[in-house]
Amino acid sequence: MIRLILQRLLWALPVALGVVTITFITARLFGGDPTELFAPPEATDELRAQIRERLGLADPMWMQYLRYLADVARFDFGISFSTNQAVSTDLTERLPATLELGLTGLGLGALIGIPLGVFAAVKRERVPDFLVRGFTLAGMALPQFWIGLVLIWIFFVTLGWFPGPVGRLPIEVRPPEPITGFMLIDLALLGDWSSWRLALWQLVLPAVTLAIASMAPIARVTRASMVEALQSDYIRTAVAMGHGERVLWFRYALRNALLPVITLIGVLAGNVFGGAVLLESIFGWPGLGQYALQAIEGSDFAALQGFVIYAALLYVITFLLVDVLYIVIDPRMRHA
Amino acid sequence: MTRAPLAWSMRIGLCILGAYVALALISLVWTPYDPLSPGVGDSFLPPSVEFPLGTDRLGSDVLSRLMAGTQYNLGIALVAVILALVIGSALGVVAGYYGGATDIAISRSVEIFQAFPGVLFAMLVVKAVGPGVLNIILVLSFIGIPDYARLARAEVQSRRNWPYAEAARMVGNRSWQVAFRHLLPNSMGPLLAFTSINAAFVSLVTASLGFLGLGLNPNTPEWGNMIARGQDGVMTGEWWVSFFPGLAILGMTGAFYLLGDALADLADPRRRR
Repeated sequence: MIRLILQRLLWALPVALGVVTITFITARLFGGDPTELFAPPEATDELRAQIRERLGLADPMWMQYLRYLADVARFDFGISFSTNQAVSTDLTERLPATLELGLTGLGLGALIGIPLGVFAAVKRERVPDFLVRGFTLAGMALPQFWIGLVLIWIFFVTLGWFPGPVGRLPIEVRPPEPITGFMLIDLALLGDWSSWRLALWQLVLPAVTLAIASMAPIARVTRASMVEALQSDYIRTAVAMGHGERVLWFRYALRNALLPVITLIGVLAGNVFGGAVLLESIFGWPGLGQYALQAIEGSDFAALQGFVIYAALLYVITFLLVDVLYIVIDPRMRHA
Repeated sequence: MTRAPLAWSMRIGLCILGAYVALALISLVWTPYDPLSPGVGDSFLPPSVEFPLGTDRLGSDVLSRLMAGTQYNLGIALVAVILALVIGSALGVVAGYYGGATDIAISRSVEIFQAFPGVLFAMLVVKAVGPGVLNIILVLSFIGIPDYARLARAEVQSRRNWPYAEAARMVGNRSWQVAFRHLLPNSMGPLLAFTSINAAFVSLVTASLGFLGLGLNPNTPEWGNMIARGQDGVMTGEWWVSFFPGLAILGMTGAFYLLGDALADLADPRRRR
């Protein structure tokens, strides 16, 4: 098993290298000439050449590539034009906000989606099954940003039950100095419970949006996998031995049906960073996604490139974790 | 008994997609108002007899824009998935049939591209090359290619030595003929099922790019663009501008999913239980 895990870890390296290389090529092929960003329009050719020299653009492409690799390895993505800070500092500052929202939403989605899938599978081809399937089909076929807008329209604009999309805290509350960067944890550590409640309330609508969007595929995969598990020989044996329904569903069938669900949750977790761009823009959430969107709007290529590499590496790490988890929990893999 | 729901989801999916195709064709010759011109009515008129889905901030008719948008969203999805299907399966068939170094080269590159989050890649490239229908189609088909290649490779590899492939070789077919004329057609089931699922994904990404203002010129009546244009209105209670394009996306994407499910059941009889 250890060898298998090590092999998997080693394979992550060329994949990460590939991801970084793709980003380099895309930026160089399509990114335009960075000289133009520094040179005034009336600059002479001589000045332009000087700028190119200083930016390292006069060197041959392979040298630029190697220098870029060295920079990325040191987590140096350059300086953002819009914040005037190192892109890596910007990204690290904004990561907790994205993780807080992503983990809450995904956790909520799994918490609702898995039981829903089990329920649909045990009531297969009956009314509850069709309802769950219809509901989850809609959840998968709707764009996440639209679900978010509709929730805002219903629960903020019309009913006024939840606060507006202004980020992690109401505008009049001063955010605390970050300790962990996770708003709910920081406020709890500070013992500021009235702000904690406000922050929790701000989190509800974006987290529910993400939960709906992730619950749908989780429920569908759980259902399909459970249907298969419920028809297997070991379940028939367990029925013959007189086990109760609940023990059957949750202890025997679900445990075996959960493997594809775990893979899926890994994929969804990897997608949280990409989806964050849309979700965070709707809810004014100051995370990685909003940063990327500002970079897109301001043509801030260093920032955008940094975000893409950051998100892609997190994606690769997530898949790595899922695969390792798979090896650990599936006894068949251990002896492969 | 087991066949009933199968035909059912296929039929619904096809009917809905047929309706969208019809809508796209109709919108080429007729829409209630000019979808591109502002001020056919007042700003933010709620749905009424005159404007069934209301008007947006600029006073354009939402229904006309929605109809015209079908060309973009459906057209982009169809062309992008067909392109990805053709290129991806060709790569996969070559990798699966010939094996060896060719296979390793193709499979490894596919794995690396798959590790790259597709939506982010699309955002990066579209931002760089600029908006436009052709650009979006190319990017979206490009991010689909790895999946098709992997699928086609697995299918062809598992059938390479089946008796019918042997027979095809015995009667003197060249290797590419065996691969593309005999093995590929027999692998089409899963590929087509995936194409339909992929079309759903592609239409969601198209709308996302449009919503971010990356996809097409902001005045284009693409559904994601339209939702973005109505976003401010939602905050002040003018929900209809953003609401209806979402329903249009739901119908089209849902139909692709239904069709894909039905095709997957057809391709894999074990799933038909």
